[in-house]
Amino acid sequence: MSPIYKVSYVVTGNDHPGTIANVERPPKVGDVVRLGDQSYKVTEVVELIPARGEFHYLHATLAPARS
Amino acid sequence: MDPIEVLKTVELFDGLEPAELGAVAALCRERTYQAGQVITTQGEVGDDLFVVCDGFVEVILSRPPGDQAPRTMVHLGRGQIFGEMALVDHGPRSATVRALVDGAVVMIIHRQDFASLCEANHHLGFVVMRNMAADLSFKLRHRNLANR
Repeated sequence: MSPIYKVSYVVTGNDHPGTIANVERPPKVGDVVRLGDQSYKVTEVVELIPARGEFHYLHATLAPARS
Repeated sequence: MDPIEVLKTVELFDGLEPAELGAVAALCRERTYQAGQVITTQGEVGDDLFVVCDGFVEVILSRPPGDQAPRTMVHLGRGQIFGEMALVDHGPRSATVRALVDGAVVMIIHRQDFASLCEANHHLGFVVMRNMAADLSFKLRHRNLANR
């Protein structure tokens, strides 16, 4: 099985409540991710807890992306 | 949507043998919701566990009457579970959950069927309950980070 990245996304700079979702590729600083109808830029990624099996647990901080 | 392929990507079922995954898949019902459609309602009795297969749902917490407006606590995407608290403690739903996008697909597992499966197969029951505790822990860590 391919790695699965369970990511806790927290948005700074607006009232987005944050998102938890599984993704196939780990987010990286500078990436633009789309949550709902808004795009956000990744400003920080940390390992939230150690990986277990194929599951990796990450936390990503996001800021609204400028269009 | 092949339930076994979906369940393989859900942390709750990580560590199950193929036959055990098949037994869980046999309990799953798939349902599709449109944006805004309510899936569970805060305060109601809950008999099901839900797995998000596609799209996003939002978890909304209502406050006491006269207090602030309901607050969206988190959005949950693919591979996430909800409804697990009522599954474990048999209490009322702790929040309202509704679809955030059109075509949000969830798998639904009835509590009693799932409990019977866990009781009949203690390895399956141990793995799922351990993973459920880890998922609740992850949600709590997320909440702590969101509140910084």
